[in-house]
Amino acid sequence: MTAGPLLELAGVSKRFGSIIVADSLSLVVRGGDAVGMVGPNGAGKTSLFSLISGDLSPNSGEVHFEGRAVTRLDSAQRCRLGIARTYQVPRSFEHMTVFENVLVAAYRGAGLRGHAASSLAAGVLDEADLRKQANSPASRLGLVQRKRLELARALGCKPRLLLLDEVAAGLTEPEVAGLVEVIERIRARGVAVIWVEHVVRALVGMVDRLICLAGGRIIGDGEPLAVLASPAVKDVFLGTSYGEASQT
Amino acid sequence: MIESAPSATPQRVTRSRRSARWNAVAGAVAVAVLASLPYLVYANVTGVLVNLFILLSLATLWNLLAGYAGLISVGQQAYIGIGAYAVFVLADNGLSPFLAIPVAALVSGLVAVPASFLLLRLRREYFAIATWVVAEAVLLAVLRSDSLGGGTGATLRGLSDLDPALRQAYTYWAALAVAVATLLGTYLLLRSRVGLDLTAIRDNEIGARSVGVRVALAKGIVYFVAAAGAGAAGGVLIISQLFVQPTSVFSVQWSAYMIFVALIGGLGSIEGPIVGTVIFYMLQQTLADRGAWYLIILGSVAVLMAMWVPRGIWGLISDRFDLRLFPVGYFLHPARGTVKVKS
Repeated sequence: MTAGPLLELAGVSKRFGSIIVADSLSLVVRGGDAVGMVGPNGAGKTSLFSLISGDLSPNSGEVHFEGRAVTRLDSAQRCRLGIARTYQVPRSFEHMTVFENVLVAAYRGAGLRGHAASSLAAGVLDEADLRKQANSPASRLGLVQRKRLELARALGCKPRLLLLDEVAAGLTEPEVAGLVEVIERIRARGVAVIWVEHVVRALVGMVDRLICLAGGRIIGDGEPLAVLASPAVKDVFLGTSYGEASQT
Repeated sequence: MIESAPSATPQRVTRSRRSARWNAVAGAVAVAVLASLPYLVYANVTGVLVNLFILLSLATLWNLLAGYAGLISVGQQAYIGIGAYAVFVLADNGLSPFLAIPVAALVSGLVAVPASFLLLRLRREYFAIATWVVAEAVLLAVLRSDSLGGGTGATLRGLSDLDPALRQAYTYWAALAVAVATLLGTYLLLRSRVGLDLTAIRDNEIGARSVGVRVALAKGIVYFVAAAGAGAAGGVLIISQLFVQPTSVFSVQWSAYMIFVALIGGLGSIEGPIVGTVIFYMLQQTLADRGAWYLIILGSVAVLMAMWVPRGIWGLISDRFDLRLFPVGYFLHPARGTVKVKS
């Protein structure tokens, strides 16, 4: 176990014109943590992921991964260091096969070669239950399988920190349950997970820490049920008193 | 601390579903037949084929740029011209023009390296315009250079004591060699791990970056290869014409032809530009005596194809018959006798 934190954000801010998506965010994640993240639409959840993964670079603040400053590294470099993400709208390689999709990750993200790379890719496909589709083009997959491919491709990078952006959105209850099972197994291997999801039930069952974002700020951080119960979170996340009334 | 993913049953990975041995045999036979043509047909046929091979090489490289790396260049004529002038200079200094072709390719490639540092920082349309600007800049430099013949052009020396029939045969073989080298090089590049990177970039650049692909490096390699290939094609061009005229060799028309061929054949596959070149030459041969109509019909075909057959003729064929002449993929064979249990 490394002594320091796995991921550390210090005063990270990001603006697009007058819109602030990250307002001096500070955050520490330790190796093996399972963190859930919730917040209303536009709270800055996906932007925060992009700031961690390197798809966006902050206007100010620092990002450290395993004690190393990664603020100025692009997403490919951060991926090779051990940060992998999925995208809310899958970014599959449409005209490549499912196996090839994951193989790129094993070659580049995990830095493996030859047999080691194809073994990892095949193993990840087993884990994501995509082995049967291994040789079909990604364009032939349905939504559930696409979400699984997003996950498989991130796993193919052999990450130590996995960012999951709404992998369960649009899935049915049993499909979500299957996915949670897969994520549990990934966690059991010591991979830290940050999981953004609107399906709060799926999150609360799995994570041991919940962060609530609103307006680019962290307004709740701690034990999941306690966070959900806090007045500030209730107010923003469930809406105003009108929203709370309609929930019953 | 972190275990690897659960190790799977032993698996076997090959580069295509079926054996590709027959594709290789067919390719070798095709090259052998083409190589023997100077013994079998008249020089006017091989003369047409020289131009066809030049265009095939150029379109193949343009497809690598645009179809894989997402680099829409309209300035490859810069490297055609540099290659042609490199052969001229080398021949002037006593090197055989045929041996000068690979050197010309290297010269074009080396010029492309510093140019790529500037150009690859630019996004799509800016990149496209900037490539053209680079080509025009090279043209202006040549026009002002007296030792290269300025605006009048330059005549290739070193081939005058060769018997014309022999010269035409050598030219034909040089053009064939450049086309085969371009296709083979493209095939080997796409089969390599860089090829897998490029295919991923073709499909989704942000996704490729997110799984650790060095996008800028892959694009740089492609830009270098495309420039070197264009240089070789330019070398063949000056040998076949014995003369190089700057405004013609640096003409943006070259880019228009490359784009046309790659588009009608289909972007993003090795086979596309081959099909496109054949179609282009059939159109050219049938419409040659129709004057302006030739260009009007060519343009209309390009527009209609872009609208209704965006993946080109080869896209239609390969979708319909699941056909791949150049196996560059990875095929994961099912594990024998084991049934996967988990969820």
